[in-house]
Amino acid sequence: MHANSSSQHASTKPPLPEQGGQIGYENTTVTKVPGWHGIIAWDALLNGMAMGLFLAAAVSELAAPAVFIGVAKVAYPVALVLLLVDLVLLVLDLGDPLRFHHMLRVFKPSSPMSLGTWCLTIFSLPLTAAAALSVLAKLGWDFERARLLAVVVGLLPGFGAAAYKGVLLSTNAQPGWKDARWLGGYLTNSALLMGCAELLVLSAVMRQTQAIAILRTAFIVLLILNMIPLGLLFANLRTIHAQLYTRGQQWRVGALIAVGALIPLGLILLNGGLLSISVAVIFLLADSWLVRSVYVKIPHTSPLEVRSGE
Amino acid sequence: MASREHELSALPQTSDPPRGRLSQLLARLISPYLHGEPRGPVPEVLGRLIYPFVRGEAPKPQQATGFYTDTTVCIGCKACEVACKQWNQLPSDGFNWSGNSYDNTNELSATTWRHVKFIEQFSEQTSNVLAPMGTVSDESPLNRWLMMSDHCKHCLAAPCHQACPTGAIIQNEFENVYIQADICNGCSSCIAACPFGVITRSEMGGHSHKCTLCYDRQRDGLEPACAKACPTQSIHFGPVEELREQASKRVDQLHERGVPQAYLYGDVPSETYSAMHSFYLLVDRPSVYGLPDAPFNPWLHMMGDYVRSVAGGLVAIAVLLVVVFLLKP
Repeated sequence: MHANSSSQHASTKPPLPEQGGQIGYENTTVTKVPGWHGIIAWDALLNGMAMGLFLAAAVSELAAPAVFIGVAKVAYPVALVLLLVDLVLLVLDLGDPLRFHHMLRVFKPSSPMSLGTWCLTIFSLPLTAAAALSVLAKLGWDFERARLLAVVVGLLPGFGAAAYKGVLLSTNAQPGWKDARWLGGYLTNSALLMGCAELLVLSAVMRQTQAIAILRTAFIVLLILNMIPLGLLFANLRTIHAQLYTRGQQWRVGALIAVGALIPLGLILLNGGLLSISVAVIFLLADSWLVRSVYVKIPHTSPLEVRSGE
Repeated sequence: MASREHELSALPQTSDPPRGRLSQLLARLISPYLHGEPRGPVPEVLGRLIYPFVRGEAPKPQQATGFYTDTTVCIGCKACEVACKQWNQLPSDGFNWSGNSYDNTNELSATTWRHVKFIEQFSEQTSNVLAPMGTVSDESPLNRWLMMSDHCKHCLAAPCHQACPTGAIIQNEFENVYIQADICNGCSSCIAACPFGVITRSEMGGHSHKCTLCYDRQRDGLEPACAKACPTQSIHFGPVEELREQASKRVDQLHERGVPQAYLYGDVPSETYSAMHSFYLLVDRPSVYGLPDAPFNPWLHMMGDYVRSVAGGLVAIAVLLVVVFLLKP
């Protein structure tokens, strides 16, 4: 060790480190990455899809029961399946999945993860009830009041379970993430947009013409509205993106995201058929996943100057 | 007696008696699990399920303790690193030449709680590589080593503590930030939250670990292993108030002796960050030592982020409602 290091001063060519080392500590990233990789991008997508579908179905059903009761009864079981898949991902992402229930030994509003876990856990109960009672109603046992009660009870924790995710991923010290003031605004808004889109597909499959007409309009308005928090989010991330990616890369991803939003908009504007609705919603979900992936990647990507081959 | 880190984290910590009737009842229910008696699958599952809900009696608050690290007398011997690894039974990280001076430890992690940093500032050969570091004294050529023994800052308002959803991270009776290894479930929130990059998740067991400020030794009235081992008294341990006094005297002394750039890092709160119970005496900018120049507590943004998040959802719900009411037959 002694001879090796002191030779750095004498010779012009210091011995090469075994791992591409850096001299001094300046310009190094101080923080450590939490290891929230692709699984978290999928989690953020499924979280929005599950909570968004429930909220869109519940709000529509409560506002216009005559139009939406049929499609809502299908939406709740679908939302439950999405939520369960999401919960599995969340548990698997823990360092010690068998200790998941340790999350429930305290309630700590200062921790977005704690608030979110409690919202998800509480929400899963009325959602399960609403889904089960919807299925039972199909089978002939109709407990309409209890089902509506479950839907109403689920509204607040369901909203909380959608709203915490963005705050969790922006309240931390990670490069880029710490500047993403509009992530929560975007994710919650996007959850409702995706929920509306999923409800639209279900209505199309079930040939509910009135529901399709209303949801098509709502989808178009929400899709345009969603551009605002998305734009604000990317404005927050401009500095970090400039450090991580070349201009060309930024333009390509930006164009991909824009196209991913414009294609569903065009399709839904042109045609209200099942095929075009399905294709539009697939594009929207893919686009939503892309935005989340780009975001989740930020702390895992090294800045441009130390990356080789760029 | 556990001999490895993953065994340590798996051991139930039964030192504090259960608090309240419910906890006593629960503790009795899982008594075989708590006392490591031979057990079948049912007591095992029951024990695992109930164990985190058993509350211990909170110890009486003591005088707040911490570290004051005087980097000007550090000689880079790494005795603190060795003492820390030995006392806390931390496993090896393997060995790699880093190419960065004598620093082959590289970083703080779940298995490295002390990290001695080496900064070479030599004017003949630093002009191209280390040029920006020469900012502190333009009049005299820099020909010096900076050495600093880095570790957890034990922040008064610690982001990791605020982030922890399991309550595994606590502020103990000495006001030190302590991770209860038997409670942590490896969610990584603390890793994302720490502005100093102190915490990581262990490959063994999947839990987060960091400097405990030798909680076990403190409870037995001993000073932490690193402070005990430091041969130059670069690492001071004691009541925080006394350390602050001692440190500010040392700064004055250095100023008198012609080191005007000496200052304390983290001894008092800034606008964006709380005071730290382990603070440093430095003689160059914090970033030279790999510390954030202006540490920022992410929680200052949390309420605003929640407001924007909720607003984003409420606006969308309002739009949906308006469309439904306008178009419904």
